[in-house]
Amino acid sequence: MRRDFGPYPLWLRCWHWSNLLLFVILLITGFNMHFSNLAPPPVTFRTGVLIHNTAGILLTLLYCFFLYGNLRFGNARYYLITADDITPGLVRQARYYLWGIFLGSPHPYPHNPHSEERKFNPLQKIFYLAVMFLLFPILIVTGWALLFPYLLPNVIFGLPGIASWALVHTYTGYFLFLFMIVHTYLGTTGATPGELFGYVWHGEVGPEPASTLRTPD
Amino acid sequence: MRAIGAIVFFLAAGAWSVPPGMAQTSGPQPPCMQCHKPSDITIDPARLAQSEHGAFDCTFCHTTGFDKFPHTSTRAEMRDCIDCHKERKLTKIAQAVKASVHAKRVDRAFRCTNCHSPHYFIPASHMNDVSEAILVANESCLGCHAKGDTRADKELELAKKHGYLYHAALHLQRNECVACHTPPGQETTHLILPKSEAVKDCATCHAQNSMLATKLYAHLALKERAQQGFVNAILINNAYLVGANRNKWFDWGAFGLAGLLLVGVAAHGLGRWAFARFRRRRS
Repeated sequence: MRRDFGPYPLWLRCWHWSNLLLFVILLITGFNMHFSNLAPPPVTFRTGVLIHNTAGILLTLLYCFFLYGNLRFGNARYYLITADDITPGLVRQARYYLWGIFLGSPHPYPHNPHSEERKFNPLQKIFYLAVMFLLFPILIVTGWALLFPYLLPNVIFGLPGIASWALVHTYTGYFLFLFMIVHTYLGTTGATPGELFGYVWHGEVGPEPASTLRTPD
Repeated sequence: MRAIGAIVFFLAAGAWSVPPGMAQTSGPQPPCMQCHKPSDITIDPARLAQSEHGAFDCTFCHTTGFDKFPHTSTRAEMRDCIDCHKERKLTKIAQAVKASVHAKRVDRAFRCTNCHSPHYFIPASHMNDVSEAILVANESCLGCHAKGDTRADKELELAKKHGYLYHAALHLQRNECVACHTPPGQETTHLILPKSEAVKDCATCHAQNSMLATKLYAHLALKERAQQGFVNAILINNAYLVGANRNKWFDWGAFGLAGLLLVGVAAHGLGRWAFARFRRRRS
């Protein structure tokens, strides 16, 4: 299979790892600012702000690239939720993670890299949709708002203006950090712990569809 | 600065505004307001009435030499702040002023009234609105340290001088100048430092042990420091400081959730490994 096509084309893999790099930088510098009294800090507060702002702007550009790539190269279709994904999809997938995976049961939604219809299991779809099309936009919009704090209203719904934006920004970042933990762990649920990471790194999925192949949630 | 002091004194004495024939000749309570009318530009009677000294007669401070016209009083004959404010705090303040750049480089006899107008002074501790306290406090500094016809012009000019700050204009609007231009770790806001020694480490304020909570908002900080789980809650009334305004409940919740997740993930992984091993042995 050519590396520029299939479920893990080059543009998607570049986006994925660049996104990870920027997100980790943002996490560290965000943590550095939030807990600035921790000693010794990785970088000074001022440097941390500069890096955080720069990485945030780059992340926005990268997110735009992600949206463009999804629409241009058809990756968006993998996120579309069908009725079957909800019932019985979510329950079947959750039951697999909670029980079937221990017993060695077959994956309820085996991944077929040649399929034009499905790349993600139902839980993946729900979480990826929430992360990429809800939490990420919230993080980006609130981040940009905080780049121009003097334009923000002093009061929002009776709460201090800048503080409200900052709290939403900070704790959205936290939730994405939690997602990253789960996402990384479920990346180890392939035939071998490194198999799924290999797909997202090299793009190679092999000539034949493996019946138990899974992608990280 | 000497010139400004002289002008303040001159205006306060009001000598220029007393028309001939209206001079007060004698009497224990000179009717100052007969000449110094509310429309008089020297002193704003409305602001004076609201100030800490609003209830005093003019002659309480303008003691001698005002019973004649032209007034013959000199500054040395007037009451000084220390004549009434003898408490230890003012002595400390006086010491701080002596050590400040104002006394060392501007005027060795730098006076309280150079910055604090005795006619309009309201202590920050008597203001409920922190923004108002900041506005009033910075007005004194802007008088000498910024050029411009309006306050906005002066703030703009000053923002350019503070270009190294992120969002300089916002910092200047929502912070007292003395917060950074006095030594960190000390309660005093009177030991004004040369600009080369001003606080430039952002984490001095942007931290849980924010200097602002113990210096700028000292009078309010004690009662409002930990409202609704926010550390330095008082600062939120006026601004949001990254690092200084953390909500400890949210933070503990986030740490707790991350901890639970890590434990859950570790348990799940361990379970997978144990079950896989068991299955291999059975087969």
